[in-house]
Amino acid sequence: MSAILQVQGVTKDFGGLRANDNISFSVEKGELLGLIGPNGAGKSTLFNCIAGVHPVTAGRIFFEGKEITNLKPHQVARLGLARTFQIFVASGDLSVLENIMVGSFLRTRSRKIARQKAEEILVFMELQEHVDQWVSELPVAAQKRVAMATALATQPRMLLLDEVAAGLNPTEIDQMMGLIRQIHDDRGITVVLIEHVMELVMNLSQRVIVLESGKIIAEGKPEAIKQNPEVIKAYLGERYVAKIAEAEGKA
Amino acid sequence: MEVIRNIFDLSDIPRKDLTVFGIFSLFLLIFPLIPHSSFAMATMIEFLMFSLYGMGWNTIGGYGGQVDLGKAQYAGIGAFTTAVMLIHWNIPFWISAPVGMIFAIIWSFAIGYPLFRMRGHYFAIATIATSLVLLDVFQSWNFVGAAKGLELPLKSMPSLLYLQFRSDTYYYYILLFLFFFGFFYINWFRKSRLGFQLRAIKDNEEVARSLGINVHWCKIKTYAIATSFVAVVGSFHACYNFNIDPEDIMSLDLSILIAMMAMVGGAGSLWGPIIGAAVLIPLKSYLGSWLGGKEGLAGLDLVIYALIIMIIAAFEPRGIWGIVEKARKRGKI
Repeated sequence: MSAILQVQGVTKDFGGLRANDNISFSVEKGELLGLIGPNGAGKSTLFNCIAGVHPVTAGRIFFEGKEITNLKPHQVARLGLARTFQIFVASGDLSVLENIMVGSFLRTRSRKIARQKAEEILVFMELQEHVDQWVSELPVAAQKRVAMATALATQPRMLLLDEVAAGLNPTEIDQMMGLIRQIHDDRGITVVLIEHVMELVMNLSQRVIVLESGKIIAEGKPEAIKQNPEVIKAYLGERYVAKIAEAEGKA
Repeated sequence: MEVIRNIFDLSDIPRKDLTVFGIFSLFLLIFPLIPHSSFAMATMIEFLMFSLYGMGWNTIGGYGGQVDLGKAQYAGIGAFTTAVMLIHWNIPFWISAPVGMIFAIIWSFAIGYPLFRMRGHYFAIATIATSLVLLDVFQSWNFVGAAKGLELPLKSMPSLLYLQFRSDTYYYYILLFLFFFGFFYINWFRKSRLGFQLRAIKDNEEVARSLGINVHWCKIKTYAIATSFVAVVGSFHACYNFNIDPEDIMSLDLSILIAMMAMVGGAGSLWGPIIGAAVLIPLKSYLGSWLGGKEGLAGLDLVIYALIIMIIAAFEPRGIWGIVEKARKRGKI
């Protein structure tokens, strides 16, 4: 296996705040990687650095062997690295299908081809019933699927998903899990997930990286991460530890 | 030929709208045959001109959401190019109009490149400023007649080549041709790749960028399209009025009026600029004549426009068409 994404010593400062501190890791081609960490750990900042939203303070980033450090977001997207946003805002000028077409127009000028491609992805993302609705009218779960569908329509080889399961109910999380699995298994797209929903990230990820205060504090298979005392303390917090203790006390 | 099919593709528009537009088009076609006053004809010509101005503005201002209040500078470039080329080199409209358009596009790139680094109100203010600067330049530039402007030499015979006619009816049909050309161009544009990208930019620039859209370049390109519309109508204005001066064709009033067509009618919709012009131009024209032109009350029409803008901004940002669509959603129409 070869690395599709290499992050080498990326540091990102916002004024005096160091959001990412010398982060290095690589993602293998075809991998499904989970990126977890408490709020403010620097996960979204890291995504934004990779995707070109923020210029990095130091370090280098390579995608498919090409250096993408400090490229513009649209240039990164054109190279085949797509991403979704934590909060997907759509003021409602575009319908669901039109939104997805915006994505597919990246690879074609033809309205017909863009539409065909968008319709295929619409079905794949289980959005048929919403085809002509405005995005702002949809329930959160469907909005998240539209955001993913739009990113998928740009035909990426790698997809960065930022909290796509946040705010979903258990049924919707199951559906989302199935979809991410299909994106990865059937479409062969390398996926990196930022996620707070542990059930989803632990079930899906082949490998998990844990960030805290801008640094990588652990890396490994989900089972190992779950057992890692450092992670439990840093990520799950004192409260969780207390809860375990309480449960054990009762038993 | 997918492009040709797309130009005439109105399949996403409700039948009712198409019927109304069909009847209206028919009216426009036969209007000169119906008995009418010359004042009514002048108003109709102005309606068509402002529909076209509005269609142009609607690309960047409506679909793209970039409120541009400096369009008059491009009308001026078109008008003065046509006038100067006719006066100095006897060049016909059909050559000078495209040349004026090219000058206007070049100027729009020079203006658009820095200005689209700004957003929202800052962009709107900057467009006003650039337009006023160009107005000042033209007012002190002797080659284009400075403040008193230019008068176009009258040909001895009416001429389609030079767009000089004795009867307004000919001007009317030339404009009507441009009107339908503009309409179908916008119909293609709104669902072209650029149209989609622009609407995505209006929705959320950050998301648009993440989808591979070069936001800055998209805006500049669309700005040039808007500019082309305005410049051609400016060239037409020169031939129709025979005399142009910067204070008239490059004024802030004109810039605001252009923006108002789509804003009142419905920014970002196909019908918006047409509805806006159909409402505002007769209002402007008849109000103007009723107030007796320049007698003390000259500013009153501007006061009324200002009121209309405030009402729209407060109650229905999507203009008249927004009201229609809301009523339709409630099942009333």
